[in-house]
Amino acid sequence: MIEFLNVGLRYGQGPEILRDLDFRIEPGSFHFLTGPSGAGKTSLLKLLLLSLKPTRGKVMLFGKDTTQLDQDGLLQMRRHIGIVFQEFRLLDHLTTYENVALPLRVLGEQESSYRANVIELLEWVGLGERLNALPALLSGGEKQRAAIARAVIGRPDILLADEPTGNVDPDLSLRLIRLFAELNRMGTTIILATHELPLLDNFPFPRMVLNDGQVHIHG
Amino acid sequence: MAEWRFLRLPGLARGEQSAPIVPERSVAGRTLVTLIAIMSFLSAMTLGGVVLVQKSALGWSADVGREVTIQLRPVDGAVMDSSLRTAVALAEATPGVASARALSLEETQDLLTPWLGAGVDLSALDVPRLVVVQLADPREADIDKLTSDLKAVEGASLDTHAAWRQQLNGMAGTIVASGLLVLMLIMVATVLAIVFATRGTMASNRSIVDVLHFIGASNSFIAGEFQGRFLTIGFRGGMLGGFAAIVFFIVVGFAVGAVMPQAAGQQLGVLFGRFALGLDGLLGLIAVVPVIAAVTAITSRITVRRFLQTTS
Repeated sequence: MIEFLNVGLRYGQGPEILRDLDFRIEPGSFHFLTGPSGAGKTSLLKLLLLSLKPTRGKVMLFGKDTTQLDQDGLLQMRRHIGIVFQEFRLLDHLTTYENVALPLRVLGEQESSYRANVIELLEWVGLGERLNALPALLSGGEKQRAAIARAVIGRPDILLADEPTGNVDPDLSLRLIRLFAELNRMGTTIILATHELPLLDNFPFPRMVLNDGQVHIHG
Repeated sequence: MAEWRFLRLPGLARGEQSAPIVPERSVAGRTLVTLIAIMSFLSAMTLGGVVLVQKSALGWSADVGREVTIQLRPVDGAVMDSSLRTAVALAEATPGVASARALSLEETQDLLTPWLGAGVDLSALDVPRLVVVQLADPREADIDKLTSDLKAVEGASLDTHAAWRQQLNGMAGTIVASGLLVLMLIMVATVLAIVFATRGTMASNRSIVDVLHFIGASNSFIAGEFQGRFLTIGFRGGMLGGFAAIVFFIVVGFAVGAVMPQAAGQQLGVLFGRFALGLDGLLGLIAVVPVIAAVTAITSRITVRRFLQTTS
């Protein structure tokens, strides 16, 4: 599903921050992406999200070389990928329901066709009572669950999460990762970047360790 | 944890429309509406001015064109009254002429009063006399024949006012061209103002644009969301400016009639037209509104798309 072939990345004329990345991720798998701060976890996720192009090598998604895709091809590919950010990135003027429904709205779907699904998903992530609340009124955990719901409402094949537990307490972090694990059990391929190593011990998933610009998969 | 299977649960009957993706307040609303209103007002004023000048010039030119004048200079040995009668007869015999009339000595005196002063006895002076010839249709009048026939009358010459009309048309044309140039410059300034406002809006909404990109929104979808906002702003500004210009022309039209003495008002009307735009002028002013709204929408769309192409 995801294959990196000799991938390197540099910003401008700077040094390569990712180099010689060669790995393969199977469909339906769950990987933790770890490494020290500044190791390039976010850059690697941006490569996976297709918001950056590698300066060398190939990033293959669903069997296609993403470096050869045009604007429309990238857009279509991106619709198979969900993303969750540490800082939630919910739109402040939209309610929880509207934020979660946004990916379907931008696809031009009628609200009547997705309303029930959005409400069901929000109930599933424990936000059934917060449908009409604006992000400013949500707690950190609620915001992150809304962000996760927004990332999965379009039923993406791949879900990327960049430090999703960075702004919540340890207990909630555990519950959020269980939520990701549940989504993985339902078939979504998940790559979750985090530097909270003790948290990972609770889960059996393999770790992609990024260090000195290179990645090693353990477990 | 129960599995989430997209079960079709009965949704909440909110009965409200989803909020716009681009928040209303984040687009430089009120300032831009004011700016576009001012630009629309200036455009409509310029357009109205151009319409007024053109209408007056056309009307004036047509009035002057329907009349030619035969001038009879005093010539030794010739009897003026006889020459006048001959000139009138020749004019009336010319195809396309409706009527011809010699101005009386009193009327001639009236014409000279502004230069010579009132109460001057002209009987002692040999002043030229005039025959006013009204044309039924300026295009069909045989002016060449009249000119040729008048050679038989000593001291007679024909003035078709052609040089006058040419000068008038040239002046009106220059004013119209200048007005259109001003209109074009106003449009360019409007476009530039919208470009800057759009860029500012896009920069301040960068986080929204990024999120929309991440969740799979196409550039045309995002551009459409912003364009909708700008179309509303352009329409509001255009309505305000266009309406203000129409009110201005109506008020000034009434004011000219009310403030000026009747005779002066009439003279002003003869010289500069009635300060009335007419239905076509009014429609032109109303057309400024959709044009400004469309310019706003198209400019913002192009600016947004360029911004998105550089950021996506």
